Amino acid sequence: MSERWFPDEMPVPAVNAETNGWWEEASKHRLVVERCTACGQTRHPPGPVCPRCRSVESEWSELPGTGTVFTFTVVRQAFIPALAEQIPYVVVALDLDGAGGARMVSNLIGIDPADITIGMPVEVVWEDMGPELALPRFRPAANPINPTHPDPKGTTEP
Amino acid sequence: MSVSKGRRAVIVGVATSDYPKLPEMSEHAVHGQAADRALADGGLTMKDVDGFASTGFFPMYATGVAEYLGLHPTYYDETNAGGASFEVLAEHAAYAIESGAAEVVLITYGSIQLSQMGRRLGTGGGGGAGFAPGPAIYDALWGNTLVGSYALAARRHMHQYGTTPEQLASVAVTMRTHAATNPQAQEREPITVEDVVSSRLVADPLHKLDCCVISDGGGACVMTTAERAADLGATPIYILGAAHSTTHHMNISAMPDLTVSPAAQCGPLAFARAGITPAEIDVAELYDSFTITVVLTVEDLGFCAKGEGGAFVENGGLGLGGHLPTNTDGGGLSACHPGMRGMFLIVEAVRQLRGQGGATQVPDARIAVAHGTGGMLSTGATLILGKEEP
Repeated sequence: MSERWFPDEMPVPAVNAETNGWWEEASKHRLVVERCTACGQTRHPPGPVCPRCRSVESEWSELPGTGTVFTFTVVRQAFIPALAEQIPYVVVALDLDGAGGARMVSNLIGIDPADITIGMPVEVVWEDMGPELALPRFRPAANPINPTHPDPKGTTEP
Repeated sequence: MSVSKGRRAVIVGVATSDYPKLPEMSEHAVHGQAADRALADGGLTMKDVDGFASTGFFPMYATGVAEYLGLHPTYYDETNAGGASFEVLAEHAAYAIESGAAEVVLITYGSIQLSQMGRRLGTGGGGGAGFAPGPAIYDALWGNTLVGSYALAARRHMHQYGTTPEQLASVAVTMRTHAATNPQAQEREPITVEDVVSSRLVADPLHKLDCCVISDGGGACVMTTAERAADLGATPIYILGAAHSTTHHMNISAMPDLTVSPAAQCGPLAFARAGITPAEIDVAELYDSFTITVVLTVEDLGFCAKGEGGAFVENGGLGLGGHLPTNTDGGGLSACHPGMRGMFLIVEAVRQLRGQGGATQVPDARIAVAHGTGGMLSTGATLILGKEEP
């Protein structure tokens, strides 16, 4: 099992036909985004139909697991009872490399909140919450390859 | 649709229930108290009502309130757009009245959120990941909360435009100044910018005093035709224009641009339908769940350019002598926020246009805007109201 940050008491996600594939990939520590195979448009959270071309055909497109902080907050009040001991923790909205503009909410770990800046490069780190559930969290990139984020729209396939 | 002058939709009655703490009342009783007061205000009775609208957090909500009120309406609506719901319901009611589908529409709101759930669930807003329905789990499972979502938007606005915590705080300070003259307001003690930025951080960069109060309360309004209003001898307040829009559901990560709210779509549309410009607005009632909500709204409705909201609201810009007198009852930040505050915006806008604003009356107010915001900056609805026949 991986290093742990969030407690076992966190609820497990209710998985459905649209999201099952995303969680299966995550359990194998593969960070993916749903990509329309007809027009290439990405979407997150996963959904049943492409919002651009209406195609129902899609694939799980693996991402390199790097990206940049689009915005962040430090949660300092424990509205979620299971996270009372984790306060303060950092919630980020990320621009993920290769995700075609689809953003993802996650946590930034391993950094003093005072040192977080918008645009800073990050990389994925997996937390195994159980035998079949893994959550992607992010830490400051150890060796940022593209700190200036040369491909913000993710038009290039990873 | 061309509408004869006689069938133009107008508001003839408004009221708030008692607020902000109602430990002895049921939710339905709050609806009932507000309904009776609004009907009396308009010179009407429950027997005159053929249309009914309300909304809450379970299916067939309006049906339940209608039964409690003893109504068998032939028009009803329970569209739920979160905090923007009551502006949407009023817009729909206007269409129903102008098309002839309804004669007298009663719209009610009631909540005992404070007494029922307490502060914790209230400001957390869908806080527990276990409560998150469907795709919302993709934000909630990582510990994001309602306040957190608005904080993400605030941080991004600060980054892009240089908006400061002090500018955000000035929204809360002005609302408190207005609340100080409202005897019902939940918080009336004057505060300073320093008080706000030194209050505890709930989710950076939002402090406790950047967040709305959590209250019990409700309100109601009664709409009918201009012709009926004339028969009643009531002072009609005209619906000059209205529009609503949505950009995403409950995932802030799905919001196309965290610095642009749905008001950027429905605001200009409502102004165009009313045939007026933002410069003609005398008084504004803007949804203020958080201070950032107001900054985004003044930009998106066109009162200032995108990115200039911080400068617009500081130094009393939203006060009685400012650019845009706003939330003259003290707003959700200080007066009352029972969860979906949109009805309060309509009630206060109508009172201002009637000259019933008391200590915070805007002199000669002729045109007002009420704008609701719901979800995670997900929905917006704009109502433009006027005291003179368009």
